[in-house]
Amino acid sequence: MPGPDKETELTERIEAFLSDLKRGGSGTGPLRGSAETARETTALLRRITAQARWSSAGDLMEIIRKEGRRMTAAQPSETTVGNMIRRVLKIIREEYARSRGSSEETDQQESLHKLLTSGGLSEENFRQHFAALKANVIEAINELLTELEGTTDNIAMQALEHIHSNEVIMTIGRSRTVEAFLEDAARKRGDMKRKFHVIVAECAPFCQGHEMATSLSKAGIETTVIADAAIFAVMSRVNKVIIGTQTVLANGGLRAVNGTHTLALAAKHHSTPLIVCAPMFKLSPQFPNEEDTFHKFVSPHEVLPFTEGEILSKVNVHCPVFDYVPPELITLYISNIGGHAPSYIYRLMSELYHPEDHEL
Amino acid sequence: MDEEELVEYFRTQMRKDPDMASAVAAIRTLLEFLKRDKGETILGLRESLKWATDCLTKVDSSVAVSSGGELFLRFISLTSLEHQDLSRCKKVMEERGELFLEKISLSRTKVAKLCHTFIKDGAKILTHSYSRVVLRVLEKAAAEKKRFSVYVTESQPDAAGRQMADALRKLNVPVTVVLDAAVGYVLEKVDLVIVGAEGVVESGGIINKIGTYQTAVCSKAHNKPFYVVAESFKFVRLYPLNQQDVPDKFKYKADTLKTVQNLSEEHPMIDYTPPSLITLLFTDLGVLTPSAVSDELIKLYL
Repeated sequence: MPGPDKETELTERIEAFLSDLKRGGSGTGPLRGSAETARETTALLRRITAQARWSSAGDLMEIIRKEGRRMTAAQPSETTVGNMIRRVLKIIREEYARSRGSSEETDQQESLHKLLTSGGLSEENFRQHFAALKANVIEAINELLTELEGTTDNIAMQALEHIHSNEVIMTIGRSRTVEAFLEDAARKRGDMKRKFHVIVAECAPFCQGHEMATSLSKAGIETTVIADAAIFAVMSRVNKVIIGTQTVLANGGLRAVNGTHTLALAAKHHSTPLIVCAPMFKLSPQFPNEEDTFHKFVSPHEVLPFTEGEILSKVNVHCPVFDYVPPELITLYISNIGGHAPSYIYRLMSELYHPEDHEL
Repeated sequence: MDEEELVEYFRTQMRKDPDMASAVAAIRTLLEFLKRDKGETILGLRESLKWATDCLTKVDSSVAVSSGGELFLRFISLTSLEHQDLSRCKKVMEERGELFLEKISLSRTKVAKLCHTFIKDGAKILTHSYSRVVLRVLEKAAAEKKRFSVYVTESQPDAAGRQMADALRKLNVPVTVVLDAAVGYVLEKVDLVIVGAEGVVESGGIINKIGTYQTAVCSKAHNKPFYVVAESFKFVRLYPLNQQDVPDKFKYKADTLKTVQNLSEEHPMIDYTPPSLITLLFTDLGVLTPSAVSDELIKLYL
């Protein structure tokens, strides 16, 4: 029978995704694959919408929320999963409101205006059934997937506005987005040709900076690799700092690879602009207050190998993966929808997510 | 309703529930005024409401009462745009007014729910003067079994900080009262600063008991987060650029304004804290960065 088969197939896929998430966060590539994770999550949510049994928008949202909680519990540091779930929940709300015919914009957010003018305590329970809802939601999710596919290119297209000739640019670790950004600027020919120099901080202990330097030099960009300790010393020669990040937090701050806070402080000290290339799916409604879910620690083997047995018994070794960068140190965010100041992040958040979905 | 009745009603509201914010008491009084109003036109209604707000500010000159009055006036304008017929309009206004009061009675709970997660176990908190919203937040954190200790500034000239300390002792929270002058001294031990607000201005800054600005500057110097908790009805359409810009009618108590001739010899009761010193604002509309506040005000007034 097609019914139960589809269901078991669906649960199998969800389980496979969950175990992938659990395994994937081993710390060797915290920035690698954010885009893939986002795409996979969205594809999985589309499959759930298509194949799971639901009769009203409320049911669908409940199902997605339930699966979403399991997914975020599997890998709390991978925030793109939660972000995509919230995007899809917002899509469902919008499509439902559109089917009902009400103006969705004004009804969504809490505001002083709404407090004063609304007629009753709004109890929107999404129970009505609409036949076309499934098709509309799936179409909207497809649009979201198309947007996800174009994010790196959209960001790279803005490179020319920010990178000028004979500039020295510093970056840290390895970010696919920044790589594409820099390569796009280097690739132009003719009168738009930019010749610039990139300094990459190696970002111990995983030393992803080495891989970044290799791929940048393959693209014909003059690259230098430095140790993290040399960041401050070299900063006086740098014109701009361009970095990627794992997450953009709701207050405009960052959760980025360890070493980024040092880089940001050094840049502030020298009044060097700090530019963050982050696609919209990295924007998360979290604030940097939860200690237990903010940090992720991996095997201290990278810092002090197990062969140093004698020292290990006398010393505590930690290997954190992420760093918090406060919004005051950041100059500009470049995302697939353009450039923004950190103080504008709250507005982008209110456009992408509904306040009730902040807590899944 | 004449002036005496109005003032008496306002005073009764404040006395009946000492926990209620003065802005809420003002709005309640204005709603009662609306119910008893015998006017025939909407313009007349607005005029009499403005007059009523003026009477109330003569009794209690705080920013909160003024912002409550302005909000109510805006509420009237928005409702009157929808219904042209006065009697129907009044009915709708009365209904919505009651609903509004119901909603804002829940706002402190919402704020407490948002803010208590920012208080970590073992935190040392500094607060300034007596704020019922901060008290509610700390109550919620204590109820969530978090261990924290509080430093409260004495907050002269009315020593309101001692009232705060007594209330906190009842919750079994370890509390220390410090001198206003000791804020810089104590900040190195403190993890975060939480204050309430009498008014939140358009720039995202706040107007609060005198001494708040000092505390904010010190916490910036020490790199400690400075959080403000305020309900959304405290948002007011002022844009002060410095301390001088705050109107005199808010700075001094109502009786002082009436009796004293030379205000330059009086001590102001409030000061203005600019948005650059504030980390986050917790309101019933959500957790806002200071730049988000003007957005909210624009949505309401334009």
